[in-house]
Amino acid sequence: MSTSRKLDPYAILWRIPLLVWQGLFFVVPLVFMAAMSFWLVKNYRMEPAFVFDNWAKMLGRGAFWDAYWLTLGRAALAGLLATVIAFPASLFLSFGLGESGRRFALLCLIVPFFTSFLVRAYAWQVILAESGPVNAALGVAGLGPFTMLNSGFGAMVGYLTLVLPLVVIFQTWSLAAIDRSLIEAAGNLGAAPLRVLVSVIIPAAKTGLVLGAVFAFIMTFGDFVSPFYLGGSKPPTLTILIIDTTKSGQQWPRAAVVALAMIATLFAVATAALKAAYGRRG
Amino acid sequence: MTENRLHLTRRRLLQSGATALLATPMLNRAWAQEATQINMLAWYGHAEPDMVAEFEAANNVKFVPKYYAGGDNMLALISQSPPGTYDLILSDAEFVQQLNAAGYIEKMDAALYPFDDFYPEFQKFPGHWTDDTLWSVMVRYGLLGVSYNTDALTREEAMSYNAYWNPKLTGKVGHFDWHLPSLGQISLLKGNTAPAPWDIDGAAWEAVKEKTLSLKPQVGGYFDYGGTFSGLKNGEMLAMVGIGDWITGVLAKDGAKVDSVIPEEGGIQWTESYSIGLGTTKHEIINKFINYMLGPDGQVKSIQMAAYPGLSPTKSGWKAIQAANPDEAKRSGLIEGADNDPIKMFREGRIFYRDTPKQQTLEDWNDFWSDYKSA
Amino acid sequence: MKARAALGWVYLAALFTFVFAPIGASVVFSFNSDRFPTLPLGHFTTDWYARAFSRPEVWEAIGNSLIVAGVTSVVATFIGFATAYTDFRYGFRFKQAYLALALLPPTLPLVILGLAMLAWLSQIGLSGTLTGIIIAHVVLATPFAMAICRLRLSQMDPALEAAAWNLGAGQWTAMRHVILPFCAPAIVSALCLTAAVSFDEFVVAWFVSGLNRTVPVMILEILQGNVDPQINAIGTVVFLTSMSLVIAAQFMIFRRRRHG
Repeated sequence: MSTSRKLDPYAILWRIPLLVWQGLFFVVPLVFMAAMSFWLVKNYRMEPAFVFDNWAKMLGRGAFWDAYWLTLGRAALAGLLATVIAFPASLFLSFGLGESGRRFALLCLIVPFFTSFLVRAYAWQVILAESGPVNAALGVAGLGPFTMLNSGFGAMVGYLTLVLPLVVIFQTWSLAAIDRSLIEAAGNLGAAPLRVLVSVIIPAAKTGLVLGAVFAFIMTFGDFVSPFYLGGSKPPTLTILIIDTTKSGQQWPRAAVVALAMIATLFAVATAALKAAYGRRG
Repeated sequence: MTENRLHLTRRRLLQSGATALLATPMLNRAWAQEATQINMLAWYGHAEPDMVAEFEAANNVKFVPKYYAGGDNMLALISQSPPGTYDLILSDAEFVQQLNAAGYIEKMDAALYPFDDFYPEFQKFPGHWTDDTLWSVMVRYGLLGVSYNTDALTREEAMSYNAYWNPKLTGKVGHFDWHLPSLGQISLLKGNTAPAPWDIDGAAWEAVKEKTLSLKPQVGGYFDYGGTFSGLKNGEMLAMVGIGDWITGVLAKDGAKVDSVIPEEGGIQWTESYSIGLGTTKHEIINKFINYMLGPDGQVKSIQMAAYPGLSPTKSGWKAIQAANPDEAKRSGLIEGADNDPIKMFREGRIFYRDTPKQQTLEDWNDFWSDYKSA
Repeated sequence: MKARAALGWVYLAALFTFVFAPIGASVVFSFNSDRFPTLPLGHFTTDWYARAFSRPEVWEAIGNSLIVAGVTSVVATFIGFATAYTDFRYGFRFKQAYLALALLPPTLPLVILGLAMLAWLSQIGLSGTLTGIIIAHVVLATPFAMAICRLRLSQMDPALEAAAWNLGAGQWTAMRHVILPFCAPAIVSALCLTAAVSFDEFVVAWFVSGLNRTVPVMILEILQGNVDPQINAIGTVVFLTSMSLVIAAQFMIFRRRRHG
């Protein structure tokens, strides 16, 4: 872009806020956390040091790698499921509803965030219980009862509750902005609806689709509530391992190792995905 | 039982309706401004009105609680907060040692507290004293044993920790997600009672680990307070390792078919104690409050605390509850010589203070716990 | 075509049912007499509301949450928009690192971030204050605002801004008359979403809030120690309030249709 090299007050105004805020209030704690991973714990107190014990210990543990692959797999699955489940709804919101209806629906999807996720997870505990309404309904049809809580399924219900609204919002934002004439043109040229979807709509909405999936992946990866309250820690994810690690008498340095491994993983995944999302666009 | 419950609910309803009318937030706040503020770091419930309202009104103080959800979070919070943030700290006895080792609490003057009134077993509670220096005063305790669904198990079946391996419970045994009580119970099952289930040598520790791993196929999940409550209530879990009456007592009041017993292999005692936060300036009123809580009125409140019940360490506390609520005294065994009298069980050598491991490190135990969970 | 629309409605309804099922259940529990709800339900009561809302702490928590969420949403949306615009319009050295700053915060496990944040805020004397919670929540919420604004900007033809300059508009004028109007819906969404992120965050808030409780911190406390339907009562009130605001917004603010 033409003005990219000029650095005037206007440009600075937009660039500075992030640097100042995240620099002061995010980078410092992040550095503290990284430093902490080299500290020692003595008498239940953290003491600054520079040793690699914590890293060697955590990365050498089977429990860490079990949790790592489990968390990675679950987050990927949740990102994929959320994307696939949200897509038809986003499609309908974008092309089947008017602008004001769409806006209303999207705002409604933000509302659940205000009702604490803890409260929602607690409600799922009752809904999905063997003695709960879902099994009661299935029982009428002669099915079940199924054990849904304290399993991967329970955790997944929690993950989707957390991320589905957001994924729909991102997808709809992208889909609704697609130039209608493009779709009509494709239709006029005789392309079948499915063909239009695959070769026109999905590529045009790629950014929102990827962004939604990435946020779903990140939020699932770092979620503690779903795997703990609905998954019964069976088996533990990295977030649960972090909490467990601190129970060795203030082993926050070792918990920090787990945290840094999580950040590195998420950052790699997110940058790769976003490059794919924003790459090859005008 | 049903009648009693209904009655309770109606009374509660009337009470809270009246409170709602009278105590509008405005009025309360105006009153609170003049009161001395006491910052209390505690488990949920300890600074709720059922515990402190009377003391607040009589002494023109206002408790401002910070409730924590685990001893380790509590310690971390103190470690990074400015000294003097918390005046009064209520913690489990194991954490008193950690608070003290890390230097977050003040010495206490033993002469100020009614130790004469304590049952002798509790006068010099381990970890609360270093030689003759007092660091913490115990205020209540409770017992952990086998907690079970009474439809699934009979009392006789529940009278041994072997009940957890009962085929009727496959996939329905829950763990309270903390290594000390769960592994402590398995250690008791392995007969490690002399001197204590946490004071075991390497061979015994290996045996505990092996026995614990064999429980894995039975396990339905690992829970905190909320999960333990709802798991037992909705029948998702039929037995829970590492808890006791402090959970099933509350659930039974709500009509759930659950109970806790101290099995033949012995039970574990949890203990809650007050410590004074380093850097506070409110010693006088804090000491007055601790004395109030240790006195008969405070003990009656503590025994029936709405959030979760606890037993009394003082003789006058037992007398007071027998007079104030004979049913509760009977239910919780606060009558000398009763079958479920905790002091009697203690003297019979059936009760062990929950403690940190002596011959292994805390980390050894916790690491195994993580491995067990992901096994 | 009609059949397809009907199918769309059914699918949308199913998705909304899933998302709102726990909230609906929570509303039911809030009026149910059982402390631990199971089927069959107990009898109807408003006792939990009376209990929860007769406590001054609950009102204080609601007040705190409103302040924190309100300030957080404005600050986070401003920073998010500024960052999105910078990314959209400018290319510069170290831009990858710059964008990493915008992207990284949600990848941090909250417990650890909470402790690290508390350590830092204590150093600068802001631990245990609402300002401290706001600071932390802006860090966490900015990426959401940035993502939404960036998505909207990527739908804008970059030539549009250039065309405004060619017509003699200064940068500021072009921002006001071209870019901001184009991004307005995204900005409104970002304000709502960042407020929501703040309103639902309890882990970091627990660490840095000291003795000031926010609504989700209070819910965490009740859930960890007392588990009773007061949390459902509080949740229901918060839900109904936010839902009414959304409906009000739909009918009042968005009535005036924007052109362009």
